[in-house]
Amino acid sequence: MSEGSQSLDMDRSWRDIRQDVSSRAMSARGRQRQLMGWFNGCLLCAVIGTAAWGIYTVVHTWETDRAAVASAVRSEPVRHVTLRNPGGVLDEAWVRTQLALPRNATLMGLDLEVLRSRLLANGQVRNVTLIREFPDRLAVNLEERTPVVRAQALDAAGNSIHLLVARDGVIYEGHGYEAKLLAGLPWLAGVTLQRSGGRFVPVPGMETVNALLTAAQLQAPHLYSKWISVSIERLASHGELVVSSQDAAEIIFSGRLEFLVQLAQLDYIIDTTRAALPEPGLAFVNLALGGPGGQVPIRLAAGTPEELARLAEDAEPNPLLPSKFQRKNQRDL
Amino acid sequence: MISNRGRIVGAVEIGTGKISVLVGEIARGRALNIIGVGLAQSHGVMKGEVVDYKAACEATHHALEMAEKKAGVRLDEVWLAQTGAHVDGFANEASVNVQSADNTVTLLDIERVCGLAQQKELPAGRSRIHAIRRPFRLDGRAVNDPEHLTGSRLDVGYWMVHGQESKISDNIHVVGGYHLEVRELVLSSLASGSLMTSADERNQGALVLDIGRGVTDYILYRDGHVAATGVLAVGGDHLTNDLSIGLRVTPTQAEMLKLRHGRATVQTKDKTDKVWLNGDMSFGDRQIPRHAIEAIASARVQEIFEIVMKQLGPRFSPAHCGAGVVLTGGTAKLPGLDEAASRAFGLPARRGEPPSWVKEDLRDPMFSTVLGIYQFGLRAAHDHPAPARRKTGLLSGLSKIFS
Repeated sequence: MSEGSQSLDMDRSWRDIRQDVSSRAMSARGRQRQLMGWFNGCLLCAVIGTAAWGIYTVVHTWETDRAAVASAVRSEPVRHVTLRNPGGVLDEAWVRTQLALPRNATLMGLDLEVLRSRLLANGQVRNVTLIREFPDRLAVNLEERTPVVRAQALDAAGNSIHLLVARDGVIYEGHGYEAKLLAGLPWLAGVTLQRSGGRFVPVPGMETVNALLTAAQLQAPHLYSKWISVSIERLASHGELVVSSQDAAEIIFSGRLEFLVQLAQLDYIIDTTRAALPEPGLAFVNLALGGPGGQVPIRLAAGTPEELARLAEDAEPNPLLPSKFQRKNQRDL
Repeated sequence: MISNRGRIVGAVEIGTGKISVLVGEIARGRALNIIGVGLAQSHGVMKGEVVDYKAACEATHHALEMAEKKAGVRLDEVWLAQTGAHVDGFANEASVNVQSADNTVTLLDIERVCGLAQQKELPAGRSRIHAIRRPFRLDGRAVNDPEHLTGSRLDVGYWMVHGQESKISDNIHVVGGYHLEVRELVLSSLASGSLMTSADERNQGALVLDIGRGVTDYILYRDGHVAATGVLAVGGDHLTNDLSIGLRVTPTQAEMLKLRHGRATVQTKDKTDKVWLNGDMSFGDRQIPRHAIEAIASARVQEIFEIVMKQLGPRFSPAHCGAGVVLTGGTAKLPGLDEAASRAFGLPARRGEPPSWVKEDLRDPMFSTVLGIYQFGLRAAHDHPAPARRKTGLLSGLSKIFS
């Protein structure tokens, strides 16, 4: 429409009004928003540009020089294997042996699942995580089992081999343990170890055995140190563990009663017997009968009727038991 | 802005007394959820028109920023309310002969008659804001959609709303100064009317008055369609001004008197009944006759109604306004206003109640326009879906980011 014209505009809508506002006419907030808009736009363009360039490079390299793409995918060879094994005894040398990495193996070329299964094939390893740490490091986070008892079995050639049994019943050979530690573990008895697929089947009931041995180690280490074996023969049928000790040839614990109380009773019985009788003392103690304060049947290895009478007279109240149980114990003895 | 949740649209009303901004999330094109509110005292706006660009920008941008912060989103587009005494409207009609041999109305006939009815020339410097279609008439009978019907003559009327381009432009540029696009411009009275009346009431006929601080917007519905719209440059501020002059008090004191003791009808019979000007026992505090306050306020209110009646002219008839008068806007809170309106128009009058979906904190009549923007926009989108799909391609998205 020409200036000064009085002609009429046919279809002029508000949508024809230019909405652009010059930067000068904008408020500080408006300018800030505009800048942010530009910044976001540039950022988006940069991301899209980078992605497009990356795709182009990969496609172009794939079409012209596939070997370069393949070598890029293979990445660096593994130069370091780092073991993280808090509280464990296995070392990096053992891990390297088990992993059996080929020479010049690359980090990206490793099949971590296969390597993990190699480590887990050893019963001593409870769990393991393998992590690629670029550019050239393989990190092995390991969690080990702790042995509870020792076991003995025959190998394929008929030779006797020593094994370890963990709390969850898994049987393994054991590497890196101190001889003193192993010598202090009691033997597992009353069970026949079975093989399946070249591995030993886990022993059931080891949770109960572990509970007894842990209680004994913590509360009565002087008794535990003399224990020779623990039999689980009667565990499934009677809920009982049979311990063979230097103090008594057969000590029966009940899995249904508190081990702490039973250990206190045993300690009392051994002390009292030792004070009254010369060696060899006790032959059999059954702690599974009667519970706390109940009658505890024992059998002496030797002794005259006079010695037995003196033993009953000398019996003193057990300080670990309630008074009514102490009187009963004294009478039983 | 299209988010995962729905389309985020802002609604802005740049009023004389306050600037309101709502941030709404529109899901599936129908469901609305208000997620942010911004409110600021208005500056640089008189009688609904921007008179100080910088001051208006400052206030509006403050409200926009507040709403964005509360909603936790960045607005990219808004629907803006338009008012001001420059906004005017007129009816325009056109008729065509049905062209097909068997007198069946085709889409071509409809497009032709609609095109003709909208081709009214506007004076120089004016821009069209709305072209609101009325029902078609096929050989004199009203029909909603004449396509495939039989007849020889097809008529249609439009209510054309237009305003001064420079003033509309000022309003848009205030929002543009915040780097925002105005996607829709909605006449304030259309917005308020959409919110405050139901479809049944519009079918019965209703007159909606949105009395703000600087202007009074009105809209008349007949047979479910817009019969007339208009804006008066008179509002609540004029009541305050009248009280200030008539009682010889400052505008601030007059505003306080209006809010505390103002009334649209004279109810006080006892002329000795007086109220304290300040009520704080300070120096200069004095007693004002309550009767005088009510008389002054009621006179101005009466005048507003008379002007509306005069502007509506023969288009308004109580017989065609079965739903009565609906009052809204900040000044609608003045006691006795419904009674005064009822007397003036000879119709039942009531204060408008927003629909039940409006939350408690937004039910004040001063939010009727800004809420109505959504109501109108959603109804229009539903009644007249967009003919062409918006561009949603990558290039379109990129250009939007840079725009």
